[in-house]
Amino acid sequence: MSFFKDSVFSDENASKNGFLQSLDPRIKTITFLLFLVQILLTRNIFILLCLYAVSVLLACFSKIRLGFFLKRTWVFIPLFSLFIAIPAIFSIFTPGEPLTTVKIAGLTLIITRPGLSGAALFIARVVTSVSFVVLLNITTKHFELLKVLRIFKIPQIFVMTLGMCYRYIFLFIGIIENTHLAVKSRVGIKIRPKKGQRIVASNITSLWQRSYQLNEDVYQAMLSRGYNGEPLVLNNFKAGWQDWLWLLCALTIFITIR
Amino acid sequence: MNNLAFELRDIHFSYLGKFPALSGVNINIRPGEKVTVIGANGSGKSTLLHMLDGLIFPDQGTIKAFGENLNENVFADENFSRNFRKKVGLVFQNPDVQLFCPTAQEDIIFGPLQLGMEKGEIENRLEELAGILNLKHLLDRPPHQLSVGEKRKVALASTLIINPEVLILDEPTAGLDPLTTRHIIDLLVPADGSGKTIIISTHDLHLAEEISDIIYVFSPEKRIVKCGKPEEILNDGQLLHDNNLIHIHRHKHKDTTHIHPHLH
Repeated sequence: MSFFKDSVFSDENASKNGFLQSLDPRIKTITFLLFLVQILLTRNIFILLCLYAVSVLLACFSKIRLGFFLKRTWVFIPLFSLFIAIPAIFSIFTPGEPLTTVKIAGLTLIITRPGLSGAALFIARVVTSVSFVVLLNITTKHFELLKVLRIFKIPQIFVMTLGMCYRYIFLFIGIIENTHLAVKSRVGIKIRPKKGQRIVASNITSLWQRSYQLNEDVYQAMLSRGYNGEPLVLNNFKAGWQDWLWLLCALTIFITIR
Repeated sequence: MNNLAFELRDIHFSYLGKFPALSGVNINIRPGEKVTVIGANGSGKSTLLHMLDGLIFPDQGTIKAFGENLNENVFADENFSRNFRKKVGLVFQNPDVQLFCPTAQEDIIFGPLQLGMEKGEIENRLEELAGILNLKHLLDRPPHQLSVGEKRKVALASTLIINPEVLILDEPTAGLDPLTTRHIIDLLVPADGSGKTIIISTHDLHLAEEISDIIYVFSPEKRIVKCGKPEEILNDGQLLHDNNLIHIHRHKHKDTTHIHPHLH
């Protein structure tokens, strides 16, 4: 639970005094989107590796611990790409010039040159994309990311609902943690499966009831402060010269590589 | 009688039509008056405060605010609703309910933004309040990273920034440590001199004594059993005992046992 909270919700890196943290979140998001488009369009593995190097350099300039950054990005790679990329290196899926053969469970499989280069390109593309997304996520406070959604003309009510979900997840995580401890203190760690199922079912019901009650209470709290169905917010982003300079650099890279 | 801030006549209210929460409540609140509502848990205090804030309406009886009847229909009028919300502010008992935005700052400015306050004025008030309540370091923090005391202060700020004529506080010091309790009371005492109407529900009889002009005592039957000046109510030990507001406390000092009523 604490790993989940730390890895998904921690604002520790976003509060550091680094390069990416100093940028206006709107400009940062736009430039990162440019990088992502570039990564998707290019078919040159060298360019992909250069962009990956850019992401690692940006992490260093933003005072992100390299070990932490690499762990956060590479942990997703098997999930998103390895299982797709591995079959693609064999001649069954990608025919072409054979490089070598491997025997698995009595089967002789041929690894092909186009298969291997295609898989390498795919993994490089995934790791670079994930690196930029993770970098944006860990160097920007979550409420700022939500605010950025507004510049893409996403309706305010949608952004506000997302923000509220994010805010109340913590409350419910706290309730789940406490309920787990309360159950553990009374019945111990070993619970028979049937009893366990009953406890989980009653917890789900109780959590649903609490969230329903909270929903009504929060709505009353909104009404009490003048909410009438159309939420209004204050946009206090300020872009400085360094933001425009960074945008210019990103645009230059984007145009040059194309 | 026309210049009353609130006038409640024979108010009855029940949840889902079967769980009574208020029974035959009559209250007059004058502008500038400091009113405290005391009573045991479940005696209807929070329900009363929500009704005063125009969030729920009586099943029977009438409630008037500033001479106008309060019901669902009048709140359908945007102008009335906006004016009422500018005049009356409620600090909820559970700050987690009131703090629904991603950061403390967004929560504080939510009210004035909805009520159409100018951006410059909002920023000035925010800075002033953040200074008074010592919140500057908390403004960019999400509510889940705040302690209970900090959440209460942010919730208080989110209502005070509207600068309402009537400030309603639902158990503002419940569950707080003594120092934070004192800080919250100290924040309310200056408001006491500002001519605001303050309505507080609490179990804290010291807070009631310090702030109130008048105290209403609610019984477990959801009725007002007595109202009067603080010295009259708080010196009536039998009344407080009968309504679960004090208990008989027994403790030992060496070999001597002391038994006396205990206030909280």
